[in-house]
Amino acid sequence: MEEKSGRIVVMWGHLLLLAFIAGSILYYWLDARAVSLRPNNLILVQPTAILALLLVLAVVPQCFPRLSEEEIERGTEPLSHFARIGALIASFTAFALSLETIGFDVATWLFMIVGLYICGERRWWLNLIFSTVFTVLLIYGYGAIIPFPFPLSIL
Amino acid sequence: MIEFNDVNAALTLLTSSLDAWIWLIPGLAIGLFFGAMPGISITMAMAIFLPMTMYMDFLPSIIFLTAIYTAAGFGGSVPAVLMNIPGTSSAVATTFDGYPMSRAGRHNEALGVALAASVIGTLFAYILLMFLIAPVSRVVLKLGPLELFAVAVWGMLLLGSLTGRSMSRGLLAGAFGVLVGTMGMNTAGHLRNPLELPWLFDGVPVIPAMMGLLAASQLIGLITTDYLIEDEASRKISLKKIIGGMRLALTHPTIILRGSVIGVLVGTIPGVGSSISNLLSYSETKRNAHDADTFGTGNPKGVIAAESANSSSEGGAMATMLALGIPGGGATAILLAAFAMQNIVGGPSFIANNKDIVYAIIFANFAQAVLLLGIGLGFVYIAGYVVRVPLRYLIPSVLVVSTFGAYAIEGNAAGPITLVVFSVIGWAMVRYGYPVAAAVVGLLLGSLLEQNLIRTNQISGGDFIGYAMERPIALVIFALMAISMALSALAKHRRKSRLANLPDQSM
Amino acid sequence: MNNNFTRRDMLRIASVGAAAATVASPAILRAQSGYPDRPINVVIPFDTGGYNDRLARASAPFLQEALGQPLNMINRGGAGALLGHTFFMQQPDDGYTISCSSFGPYVPLNILTQDAPFTVDDFHMINLPSQDYTLMATAADSDIQDAADVIARLQENPGSLSIGIQPASADLVNLMLLLDAHGIERDAVRLVTYDGGGPARNAAAGGVVDIALVGGQGFLPLREQIRPVLVFDEVDNDDWGGDLITDVSGADAEFVYGSQRGWGVHSSFVEKHPDRYEILLNAIETASKSPEMIESLTNQQLATDWRGPEVSNRALRNTAAVMEQHIDLLAGT
Repeated sequence: MEEKSGRIVVMWGHLLLLAFIAGSILYYWLDARAVSLRPNNLILVQPTAILALLLVLAVVPQCFPRLSEEEIERGTEPLSHFARIGALIASFTAFALSLETIGFDVATWLFMIVGLYICGERRWWLNLIFSTVFTVLLIYGYGAIIPFPFPLSIL
Repeated sequence: MIEFNDVNAALTLLTSSLDAWIWLIPGLAIGLFFGAMPGISITMAMAIFLPMTMYMDFLPSIIFLTAIYTAAGFGGSVPAVLMNIPGTSSAVATTFDGYPMSRAGRHNEALGVALAASVIGTLFAYILLMFLIAPVSRVVLKLGPLELFAVAVWGMLLLGSLTGRSMSRGLLAGAFGVLVGTMGMNTAGHLRNPLELPWLFDGVPVIPAMMGLLAASQLIGLITTDYLIEDEASRKISLKKIIGGMRLALTHPTIILRGSVIGVLVGTIPGVGSSISNLLSYSETKRNAHDADTFGTGNPKGVIAAESANSSSEGGAMATMLALGIPGGGATAILLAAFAMQNIVGGPSFIANNKDIVYAIIFANFAQAVLLLGIGLGFVYIAGYVVRVPLRYLIPSVLVVSTFGAYAIEGNAAGPITLVVFSVIGWAMVRYGYPVAAAVVGLLLGSLLEQNLIRTNQISGGDFIGYAMERPIALVIFALMAISMALSALAKHRRKSRLANLPDQSM
Repeated sequence: MNNNFTRRDMLRIASVGAAAATVASPAILRAQSGYPDRPINVVIPFDTGGYNDRLARASAPFLQEALGQPLNMINRGGAGALLGHTFFMQQPDDGYTISCSSFGPYVPLNILTQDAPFTVDDFHMINLPSQDYTLMATAADSDIQDAADVIARLQENPGSLSIGIQPASADLVNLMLLLDAHGIERDAVRLVTYDGGGPARNAAAGGVVDIALVGGQGFLPLREQIRPVLVFDEVDNDDWGGDLITDVSGADAEFVYGSQRGWGVHSSFVEKHPDRYEILLNAIETASKSPEMIESLTNQQLATDWRGPEVSNRALRNTAAVMEQHIDLLAGT
């Protein structure tokens, strides 16, 4: 087993995720302790947080795997994938944050156009028709069945 | 137990006004549609149609509302299977194997399996209910925090089988989920709100978080793929295969029976119900299966286990409602309100005085289950077309619909924001080999665990063992749990040694 | 990303979309005439299925008849009604958004414990038909006899009984006032905390806790499974037959009412639109007094009494004042 050739690779993304998980757990634990030290507050949160942080320590070495050149080759994705995923996440975030300010209708319509483009629909006319029809149907359809109004700008 | 005079009276009641039955099909259709829309809860659907029933007679109104209830329970499994979206927490375990089946081109089968398991689960549940109503009224209220803690721990055992290839990452995901699940005001009035956001007073919105972790994260990762099912030939919608799936469900009566019993029993507990029962049933089925390794990669048994349990929980909740007049959740609260509108008040005296109505409700549900089979078949046939939509259209559309659902369920932007945050976390977790399902299970069970641990501590004054000795039901649950684990370990051991003794094996 | 997609294109697309949307839109502006000339929204700061939701939905047909316009129910549950009350306050004060809520004790609690962005004076009560009270109850088969028995046991050993209760509630305030009145140490009692009235009541009925203090009206469906011990009110409106707090702690016993539920509006609406307010007030009064509504709501164990703005506003403000005095009890246990 020890003979495995190859070199140690740093999985930066995984490290980042672990840092996020560990950071948020630590922050939550300290925040909970600041609220109260009584068992009625900490009886589950504290042991679970400690366990989770220990598990983080156990996982950290897995961010530095020894991989053969072949595995590294297979593991690398073209940067364009990341760009598309990043763009989709960014527009999805913008969509969720702007719903109430610019209205569900406008936000949905814009997100559909951008989303369809990012996901690979390059025919503009098709994109526009679909986005418009989808938005109108969804706003009226959903509006009819849920018990409170969506903030809207145009529809 | 079953009084035949009352059964006769019930049948007379049901056949006397045949116009009551015209409400059955609209009720089922409404339920399926609303149930399948992410973010529209069963309670919401029933609340919207409650005012309509005011102008109906008792029987049609109850048939109508229970039809919505029954069908919405199944409706939630459709997006769970096709797109990994658990529109309600009761369909979480359905996604574990239902969605992988769809990705592999077995969507027809998966939907058929889910439909048949649901229908049979509902039927079983109402048969059991006839025998259960009396004992339920004696036992349910006596369930205390230790018993519920035991149920929650049982659910947590599922983490063990969801860990995937790395035990430490699986447990970390589970612990992370539990901690997220405990955020907000806890049962003793301590507010853990690290981000100081008013909408986190009640904790992280669970359903948007689940939709993000399970569904949106998947969709984002699929951006470089063209279709949900990559093999074009497999994208067909085939009635024959759906029916084949239904037949497949019938070949696993033990799983359905186990799921139904778990579903009914857990369903009777107010406030627990179908969101936990589907996890328990899945966990038990996986642990007892000889092909446990293939669970989570598209094993129909997982779908059967989840669906038989979540649909039968409805019968359990109904038992509690009828026997005690206590709503186990929002849906039964609406039913009680509908009863009240017709001058009928649930509770022990209700059953004693109105056995004919109780049996009429049970029989009406049998009819619903049978009809659901037909209407559901048509519904899943149409819904199945989702797999033929190119992902470049499906991804943004489903993200938008999920966002609307997240907004609907929370009533403010908290839902969509939670959805986005957890879809990014979920995407990163999937990418680095963390089982998101484990995080979802932790999220679902976190507050149940905490509440009941705190209450057990409060009631017992810290003396857990002494208190446990006074709680026979809790001891029985813990004992059953231990026996179940021991038996499955034994069975696993036997299988292994049998394999080892096999001559000529090619491994 | 794609340079074919210019800002002008964007504008063109947007205008086409806007035009198409206007054509499709059914929301045609109508001329303003007498109030109300369009549907009225009812904000319920609780989820579907709870008392306020049931009250609003059950009253809706009768109010609609009196107002001549449909009512839209908007459920905004969460954070102990804080989210719903805040949302309600953010809506225009033009009489087209009203609220059905447990204003007492939730509005004072939102203010005292949750830093709410409003004050009690921002709310005007039209009618609070449901005035709940704390009921101390035990399981029907319990060996606890009456309030004197409970007090005697607690005086002997404060930890001898487990007490089911909701944290930061009127019930908790009442329990502490009772303990004070009988010289029982507050910190020594064994509290078992529940997130909602329902679970706490079930715990009492099932004997999971020895006694529970919860809103009394919610106990009505469980009448046969519990034994009422002590009613925290001056009168026994629901015929429990248990002791009254005034019997146990003296005629001047201090206590607070539980949930005070009913219909409220923005205080600024009353000042800005006195004419509209008059119409709304009359409609709610007419509906509340109509025999049909009384029959329908009584069957659903919902309150319809007409108490009017004066009594209702006073009741809410009293609760707020007593809650403020006992703010120390409202933190976690």
